Amino acid sequence: MIQPHDSIIVQSLGRFLIPVIQIFGLYVLFFGQYGPGGGFVGGVILGTSMLLAVLIFGHDASRSQLAKKVLHGDGVGMLIYAGVGGLCLIGGGEFLNYANLEIPGLEISARRSLGIVLTQIGVAVDVAVTAISIVFSLSAQEIIEDSLNG
Amino acid sequence: MSRHLPALLFLVPLFAAISMPIVCLRHRAWSRSIALSVLCSMVVFSIMNLVNIFQHGEIHYAFSGWPPPLGIEWVADGLASVVLVALSLLGLVTLIFAGPTSPKDLGGRIVHYYTLILLLISALTGIVFAGDLFNLFVFLEVAALASYALVGVAGGKALMAAFRYLILGTLGASLYLLGVSYFYAETGTLNMADMAEQLPHLLTSKAVLGGLLFMFIGLGIKMALVPFHAWLPDAYTHAPDSVTPILAALVTKVALLGWVRIMFWVLGIKVAVDDTPVLLLVGLLGSLAAVIGAVLALTQQDLKRMFAYGGISHIGIILIGVSQGNQTGFVGGVFYLLNDAVMQASLFFIAGVAISLYGVYTIEDVGRIAKQSPLLTSALVIAAMGMIGLPPTGGFFGKWYIILGALEANNYVAVGAVLLSTMLTLAYFVRIFERVFRHAPTLSDARPIEIPIQIKLSVGFTSMAIIVLGLLSDPIVGLLIDHTLPPGL
Repeated sequence: MIQPHDSIIVQSLGRFLIPVIQIFGLYVLFFGQYGPGGGFVGGVILGTSMLLAVLIFGHDASRSQLAKKVLHGDGVGMLIYAGVGGLCLIGGGEFLNYANLEIPGLEISARRSLGIVLTQIGVAVDVAVTAISIVFSLSAQEIIEDSLNG
Repeated sequence: MSRHLPALLFLVPLFAAISMPIVCLRHRAWSRSIALSVLCSMVVFSIMNLVNIFQHGEIHYAFSGWPPPLGIEWVADGLASVVLVALSLLGLVTLIFAGPTSPKDLGGRIVHYYTLILLLISALTGIVFAGDLFNLFVFLEVAALASYALVGVAGGKALMAAFRYLILGTLGASLYLLGVSYFYAETGTLNMADMAEQLPHLLTSKAVLGGLLFMFIGLGIKMALVPFHAWLPDAYTHAPDSVTPILAALVTKVALLGWVRIMFWVLGIKVAVDDTPVLLLVGLLGSLAAVIGAVLALTQQDLKRMFAYGGISHIGIILIGVSQGNQTGFVGGVFYLLNDAVMQASLFFIAGVAISLYGVYTIEDVGRIAKQSPLLTSALVIAAMGMIGLPPTGGFFGKWYIILGALEANNYVAVGAVLLSTMLTLAYFVRIFERVFRHAPTLSDARPIEIPIQIKLSVGFTSMAIIVLGLLSDPIVGLLIDHTLPPGL
């Protein structure tokens, strides 16, 4: 069980930093197509921003609810990934061959770009959830069990 | 459509496994029907894939459309397709078997069980199809992680065994990865076909030889080759009854298949025979494993533990077959691998029923089954005939081709090892049958126990398969010779 941090400096800085970190995480995620970055790194940054909220405000604070809710999404990222791959299969190409994403009105290059973004979002979701669930399972067993048992 | 079958065979169980915890959050009972339908579709797909590959030749499937060696490649050749049919059939039969025993056996963790089984099966499919060394490692790890969790899924005593398995399995995976990185440093590629072209010029490099040794030790731990077998008996003995059959039938054999791929498809037969003593080493270790495993099996009291050591000895026999460096031995080894998978599944089904329905754990008590269940006893007799290698079971013909191959290679040590391990196998089954047939009936035997239909089906299927594989051994071996041989053998 993680207790809230009692320093006012940490709390105020946290309030300011967490949204900034999340925006930066999204930037890294979407910038991954053109330069260094991508789903894995972006997902880690997003996950750690939610963990920072838990570390600063404690498990029960309203700011930590996002991290707890996200735990249910384990596997959703993989399903996004599989969905994009499956659409490529249906389009007649190999698994994850984005050129075969059958979206009318899109050039092949645009399809590839869209496919990469979608799969990277899937990767980011899964990495973020995994980062959170690792910390939760090390820190508070009962929270995981509660959230899994509904 | 048929071009995509190898990819579908891997993707369907994987994504079913991932969506299972979400779908079954409210309805736990759905997990069984989902898993069964996935395995049924896998059986259909794998048979379609086998027919397609026998007719039209191998499929090289490039994920994302990136051509190898740059992209990730799936190689669906004859050997992979044959093993995959066995894998999906045995997976389906295990799931049918798990129906009535699993809820009690697993401590109510049904969704965990079916999720992990599907994950295990998709990872094993990945090992069979992987066309590059690094993905082989990835799927070895996924399969291993699923197996650790499956061994420990019910908690209790099994947790310690699962932990030991985890430590040794991780050691094996790390050694394998180290070997792969040495190969990568020397050749600059991970794709098996690409590497096979470069390796013959690099054999003077110490890094290649060292990497080969690391990979062999790593996979040796995974396939429970003596002397790296310490994790296996405990894990199999304490694992839940609905888990052991699939572990015993598939996991070690598929790791062995990975080593066969490296030996014949990456190194190539010329390197393995002429330039390095790989085949000699593997053959000797196989002979040792065949004999030592059988000796250890002979000394056991616990039923499951005895069968586990029997499996260790059979891994040795398969290795003897594939390491003879000629067609007869290789095909014998592959045929024996298929047979052994079926026999191990059958034996652990029987052990599972003996434990869960009759409370029989040791050889002392095994006589109690004989009077109560003729069906189970006859299944045990058939499985034992297969393990010993009596005609008309498939085990006989497998050993026959392995011995022919060893004679062809003038390798009398291997012949002696196979014969000695056969004698020892006979000895430990005689110990069981002495109890079965000379058991004086007692009062408690009179109470009949109804065996659920699912268990009858699965035990009946594996017993039939042991005999059918023997009766059809000629056409099957003919097909194996036509389609599964490595290039140049």
